[in-house]
Parts: sequence; structure tokens; C-alpha cells
Amino acid sequence: MSPNSRLSCRYCGQDHRIVGLQSGEKAHCVRCGTVLAQRSRLGPDTALVFSITGLVLALPAAFLTFVSAGKLGAVRISLLFTGVGSLWDGGMRSLAVLVFLCGWLIPFTLLCVLATAGCRSRLSIAIDPAGFLSRSSRVLEHWAIPEVQVLAVLVAFMKLGSVVNVTIGPGFWCYCAMAVSLLIAQHSFDLDTLAACTRATGAGSARPS
Amino acid sequence: MKRIFSSFRFQSRSTASALGLAAAIMLIPANLLPVLSTESSGSNTSNTIVSGVIELWRQGLWALALIVFTASVVIPVLKVLGLSWLLLNARRGVPRDPQRLTRIYAALDFIGRWSMLDVFLAAFLAGLVRFGEFSTVTPRSGIVAFAAVVVLTMLATKAFDPRVFWQPLDVSQQ
Repeated sequence: MSPNSRLSCRYCGQDHRIVGLQSGEKAHCVRCGTVLAQRSRLGPDTALVFSITGLVLALPAAFLTFVSAGKLGAVRISLLFTGVGSLWDGGMRSLAVLVFLCGWLIPFTLLCVLATAGCRSRLSIAIDPAGFLSRSSRVLEHWAIPEVQVLAVLVAFMKLGSVVNVTIGPGFWCYCAMAVSLLIAQHSFDLDTLAACTRATGAGSARPS
Repeated sequence: MKRIFSSFRFQSRSTASALGLAAAIMLIPANLLPVLSTESSGSNTSNTIVSGVIELWRQGLWALALIVFTASVVIPVLKVLGLSWLLLNARRGVPRDPQRLTRIYAALDFIGRWSMLDVFLAAFLAGLVRFGEFSTVTPRSGIVAFAAVVVLTMLATKAFDPRVFWQPLDVSQQ
């Protein structure tokens, strides 16, 4: 069996031959039951479409007004990176870097990786499950957490409700849409890996459900 | 073959143990030091994670208090305890139920990211609420310790390789 025709379970190390999945199907590890891959109901180009959408939205999310807050006539406009800047100026530079990385740079890089993988799949270029794209995607997905930042902003809105007048800006909506696009693209990525490998090898043995 | 496996298991375990221990130590300053201070109309109040949750509860924002308590107190503690449990099981030769341990690991891996909520919240409030003497929010040193806990627990989970639970079975099959 060539390395390209195998998929190892990342939790138990069990090797599997690659199978072609139907729409909405998942492939489970035969030993530990972990979901190895799933085929999106939305079609084979889902990862590509949503990763490009996310990339397009990432720029306005970063540079348009995120929220504005007013108190006693004074209005303060905040962008996505205003908080990062405040932490940096306040001497908490490591924290500023962490927020910048997890909130924008890593999600943006992950979207680039997913878009590249989607393009390769579209062009019928095989993607090695143990190759650079798959590995970098697995590393980045742990640290790309824009959905947590969205929740944090929503919590802040509720908390600030009685203290200042908060108005949501277009940057926040773009950021929310980017986070959703990233989640959908991430969930569709394994499909592309499998689809590409299936085309390359045409073998099958993971347990579909 | 056995030597390779035991060396691999030791590296995975020792790195995860060191990171998990560091996270457990950092939990102390993260919970004792103030994470945010609010200056409003001349009065200055500093809140730790727990006192912030209590304040939200007193204001009647129960759902919010519950979300912050879960993300900032329950999940980090659960991750440290869960990781310790997995490490103890990995020390055994052949674990009794590797499938259950693998599921626990996958759950810990998934929930870890939600602890970043308080870090993002502090960064957002620090950037937005800056109205001079009327109202200003400033992050305090506790949030740095808390961010360290989150990063260390995420690194510890990443360093721990759940395949150690299955390798004794692989070796016995060979």
C-alpha cells in the first residue's frame, strides 16, 4: 500500500485504506470510533468556496468599525485590533500577540491553507493526508479560535449594556461571517483530502456511517 | 520495537506532565490576582475571575455568569484534572479501556479553546472602554497568568499522544 492510499487515525494510530464517501457520510476509525473524515452535504467544493469567502471577509473584518461605544456624549470607535493595541501599549505584549494570533492571523493562515487544498482538489491534484497542507491544517486548527472571540464580544455587549451605549459595526458582522466560513471550510476539508486520494488510489476500507 | 515504543511513550508523557504541572501552578495566580480593574466616576474596583462571576450573578446576568464560570473556572480545572488522569493511565502497562480514555482525550482537546473567552473579553473591553475618568477598563496581571494556563493546557494536550493507550495492544498483536 502506498503512503498516499493510507489514512492513520490521529488518536489510535490505526491505518486505514481510503474509501469514497457519499454525501453526508462519515468515515469512522475501525478501532477507536473517531471520525476520520466526512463528506459535506453541500458538495465537493465546499471547503474551497467557504475558505475563499472567509478570506474575502477577513480584510473588512480587520479594518472596518468593529463596535462603537458612547458615554456622556463621548464616542469611541473600536476596530478588531484596538484591544490588541491597548494590551500592547499597556505592557502586556505577550498577551497582545496571543490575541492577535488566535483571533486573526492564524484563522487567516488556516483559510489560506484550506483554499490551497481546495484548489488542489479542484484541479485533481492528490493531497497527501500526511503532507504539508494536512499537517499544517491540523496544527493551525487548534489555535484558530475566532468563534471564541465572537462569544467574548457578545458577552462583553451584555456586560456593557448598562454602562455604555454599544453599537455593532460592519466589521463585527464580517468577522462573525468569517468565523462561520472557517468552521464550515474546516469541517469539509477532510472530504477533499479523501476525495483527492480516492481519485488517486481508488481503494477502500474505513468504516462509513 | 518495544524500546522504541517505550521511549516514545516516555517523551510524550514527560512533556505533557511538565506542561500540565506548569498549568496547575499558574492556576493559583490566575485565580488569586485581579484580571480586570474598572474605574468609573472616581471609584476603582478590581475583580478576580471568581469575583467577576459573582458580580455578574448579583447583577442578575445569570446566563452570562454561568458562561464565564464554565469557560474560565470549570474548563481549565477539568483540563488539568483530566490530563492528570490520562497521564496516570498511560503509566500503566495495558490500559483497561483505551477507547474510553481516547474519548476523554478528544473531549479535553475540544473544550480547551473555550477558555480563551476571558482573554478575548479582557482585550476587547480594554480597547473599547476608555472614557478617561468617566469609565476605563484596564487588564491586570491575573489575565496574563490565566492566558498562560490556557496556552499551557492546550500545549500539554497537544504534547500528549493518545496512541500510547493503543501501543501495548499493537505490540502484543505483533
